[in-house]
Amino acid sequence: MLGAYFRKMTGTSQSPPRVSLGEILWSWVGAFLGIAAVAYINYGLMDKTGLLLLIGSFGASAVLIYGAIKSPLAQPRNFLGGHLVSALIGVTAFKLLAPHLWLAAALAVATSIAVMHATKTLHPPGGATALIFVISGPPVTNLGYFYVLMPVGAGALIMLGVALLVNNLAPRRRYPEFWW
Amino acid sequence: MSEAHEKPESAPTPGIDLNEQDILEAMRAIPGYLDITPGDFREVYRLAFQHALERLSRDVTAGEIMTKDVVSVNPDTQLADVAAAMGRRGVSGVPVVDAELKVVGIISEKDFLSRLGVVEPRNFMSLVADCLMTKGCVALPIKVALAGDLMNSPAVTVAPDTPVRDIAALLTQHSINRVAVTDPNGRLLGLVSRGDIIKATIGRESAC
Repeated sequence: MLGAYFRKMTGTSQSPPRVSLGEILWSWVGAFLGIAAVAYINYGLMDKTGLLLLIGSFGASAVLIYGAIKSPLAQPRNFLGGHLVSALIGVTAFKLLAPHLWLAAALAVATSIAVMHATKTLHPPGGATALIFVISGPPVTNLGYFYVLMPVGAGALIMLGVALLVNNLAPRRRYPEFWW
Repeated sequence: MSEAHEKPESAPTPGIDLNEQDILEAMRAIPGYLDITPGDFREVYRLAFQHALERLSRDVTAGEIMTKDVVSVNPDTQLADVAAAMGRRGVSGVPVVDAELKVVGIISEKDFLSRLGVVEPRNFMSLVADCLMTKGCVALPIKVALAGDLMNSPAVTVAPDTPVRDIAALLTQHSINRVAVTDPNGRLLGLVSRGDIIKATIGRESAC
């Protein structure tokens, strides 16, 4: 029995094949433009206002919506839904448990995964979106539930717009697979 | 679950035996990063193939699996002759047809048993039990009766294009063992028994 348990750790399959050079280039172009758009507004236009548009979890989202565009995890429902659901949960966890950040952090991420699963909006960067709110200190936590709208909602919409425009420029690419 | 994942070889793919190399080649032919391992794809394929087989088997119709060479009797056939015919053919039920070959009823072993005074006729053993528990064996009160007196009427009938899955539901719903297959005018085309359905499930080649 113990043997069977450890045998499960050996794996049963192999890594999927490497994608074509075209796919690699288009992934690069999409991610560059998507992050550039959000980062330019964040640093160029919003710096003086104290508002935010760019958060770390968008880097992870870029991997999916520009690099693995066929994945169910990368579709608009998952991308937007996952970020919004997780942002709500992150803010709520912080507000309920504020001095106990270790507990708020763990609860925010774990609950985000559970609720994303239940709502069919699983999007891995959502876990980071929830965590970022808890661990970033006053510049972010002062936003309160506004965090859900901005940076999370607004930033995600811009990145989705770039994904729709750029991914469909490539002759052999098409995005999304489904909207909802 | 764990068994299916322990070794890819332990889950043979029905139909076409895909190996991971085939799947890798196919994945290379599709541009873009596919978010699945070849092993998981193989598992999806195996289950989908099984599902398709089941679906196709459900779509088999009465006309395809019915027994066509059926012995039938008339409403005025003597029950002794009906029983003899059933015995000769080794069947437990026969359709009763009128002069125009229209199905007017079905007679089964169960109908005989209930006529022989068995209170709750389930099978032949209820008759044996009745015989053993009462004095002497069942007097045959039906010696002079006719098929028309004993038959279940109207018979449960289906059209040749009725799916087997619907027939299975009918058999269960009416607690019967066979249905008559008839043309639009009610004329007998064949019988579908529980046995026919089982044979069709095992595979069409063994059904004929």
